[in-house]
Amino acid sequence: MLKIENLKKYFPVKAGFIFERTVAYIKAVDDISLEIKENETYGLVGESGCGKTTAGKTVIRLLDPTDGKIVFDGVDIAKLKEKDLKPFRTKMQIVFQDPMSSLNPRMTIGDMLSEPLLFHGIAKNKKEAEKIIGGLLEEVGLKAYHVDRYPHQFSGGQRQRIAIARAISVKPSLIVLDEPTSALDVSVQAQIINLLKRIQEELHAAYIFISHNLAVVRFISDRVGIMYLGRIVEEGDVDQVFENPMHPYTKALLQAAPVPDPRKKRERTMLIGGSPNVINRPNGCFFNPRCKYRMKICEQEYPEFVEVENGHKVACFLYNK
Amino acid sequence: MPDRKEPILIVENLKTYFEQAEGTVKAVDGVSFDLKPDEVIGIVGETGSGKSVTVKSIMRLIYPPGRIADGKILFKTDEFSPGNPQYVDITKLSEEQMTRIRGKHISMVFQDPMTSLNPMFTIEDQMIETIMFHRKVDENQAREIALEMLHKVKIPDPERRLKDYPFQLSGGQRQRVVIAIALSCNPEVLIADEPTTALDVTVQAQILELMESLQKEFHTSIIFITHDLAVIAEVANKVMVMYGGKTVEYADVFTIFENPIHPYTNSLLNCIPRVDVKQDSLSPIPGQPPVILNAPPVCPFLPRCNFRTKRCEEELPGLVEVSPGHYVRCFEEIIEKLFVSTRGGQK
Repeated sequence: MLKIENLKKYFPVKAGFIFERTVAYIKAVDDISLEIKENETYGLVGESGCGKTTAGKTVIRLLDPTDGKIVFDGVDIAKLKEKDLKPFRTKMQIVFQDPMSSLNPRMTIGDMLSEPLLFHGIAKNKKEAEKIIGGLLEEVGLKAYHVDRYPHQFSGGQRQRIAIARAISVKPSLIVLDEPTSALDVSVQAQIINLLKRIQEELHAAYIFISHNLAVVRFISDRVGIMYLGRIVEEGDVDQVFENPMHPYTKALLQAAPVPDPRKKRERTMLIGGSPNVINRPNGCFFNPRCKYRMKICEQEYPEFVEVENGHKVACFLYNK
Repeated sequence: MPDRKEPILIVENLKTYFEQAEGTVKAVDGVSFDLKPDEVIGIVGETGSGKSVTVKSIMRLIYPPGRIADGKILFKTDEFSPGNPQYVDITKLSEEQMTRIRGKHISMVFQDPMTSLNPMFTIEDQMIETIMFHRKVDENQAREIALEMLHKVKIPDPERRLKDYPFQLSGGQRQRVVIAIALSCNPEVLIADEPTTALDVTVQAQILELMESLQKEFHTSIIFITHDLAVIAEVANKVMVMYGGKTVEYADVFTIFENPIHPYTNSLLNCIPRVDVKQDSLSPIPGQPPVILNAPPVCPFLPRCNFRTKRCEEELPGLVEVSPGHYVRCFEEIIEKLFVSTRGGQK
């Protein structure tokens, strides 16, 4: 359904006052390729600054890609003009991390939800929109009388439900979920995750689930991609990646994640330092300065992204002979 | 070394209220626990459970409209009686006396290091200020201590970092600096309020490891606040689960994770996804965390509880000691039912 090929998104770094010039590029998304099927959830994991959010926004053309293809239902939308994109907008939606900043504080829930319906002609008039909204609110676990309220009158979990209602109002076939549960309490987080699962069963939509929370990603995803400094370093079915992680970075990431069991004292491969600078990425494999399996070749070349077992791909010289 | 058995901090029936125009918010309502030397107590709870207000009360950082309405916070110290440690009640100390406790004997690490470090001063200035305020040293000695502390929290290239401003450091390094400042006066108690929540998992693992090794070295007792049960499992010896300003369950870490009794603790453990196990479903807790404005005198978990009875709607259950050191705020008849349901097959 969605096929991304060699997607790149670079941000120029400018310097100079009057004669502004580009001195470098931040390669936020650097050559990623992935495929998502209908009804499938693709989990995109990584630390802050790895480019996962930029990737999500670029895929649905909230940002213009620098290069690459985004093939959506057989059409490459990467280079379409805004005007030609409009029919695709209803098919691609996004839910952000913080619902308070993605919901307009001066609009009632009813106004907010009817806007996309009227704009895209899904509802012909306000009356029809109201009917649809009533159903939507029920769908996400809110009540019909909530339509006249403003975002500040809701709790965090409820606001996220509204954001989800708005995203599904146009019946999209792809939803990008950018850390949708990170700002929520654990007991509410589980409600939202279950809601998202149920909605997926009804809409058969594809999800791109972006998160740094490995436990949530493991639960909700079918496939996962681990991102490091703009590139996907490992990809596979969720069980493959979590039970048999291959890339040293994935291993370190999984070992770093705490487990709610006091008897499990894991031996940790401690990663030294934080993520390195995105502007000045190391030569060779980007992970090599923090990697304990580093070989000579790792400092010279970036490893190819190869399939090691059925559908399980990794970019590491350890598996690339 | 102080006596290992005797608690260094005893919190007794602490009540911290906030007076609002709409009524009283009982943010902390009758919380008791004690902390022994070398011990790590974890306080878990969701937003509004009162966990942060509990520790802010211990630090006496509650300002109007908030007040400590009742209860005792006994802290054993020789600050006011040199050579002869005695319990003092923190709630009764004057502001001046409190400054001799705060930062020196009890210090605190907050969630967001950027808000606890002053952006206008270098790391050196901020560290030296604290050290000179509490310890009888001159500036050069203070700088030495600061340098040594930065070494201990494993900041690379500490000499240069001393001259840096907070914005020049990464999130993990800033949190290391804050920990270094907190431990620079060798406090008996360290309060850590969600110290790793704002950090990436790999950095979180580093910071947790660091805290563990420093705790062993300095023999500091730690009160660790978090909403993340997985982190609690890793760091704590004892766990207090809070909900709506009240302790709902209190026991050692193994009991909490292996034999939880209170319905809230059970639901909480069932609703978190795990990295290490494949799960087919999560059972979320229906409803929202409570708003505790003018809360009625019943169990705060009542509206979301699957085991509620008529009695729950009429009175507040007390904290019952179900086995030695394991306290649960629930009625005996429900506890018995829970015992049957958790022991009989499910688990």
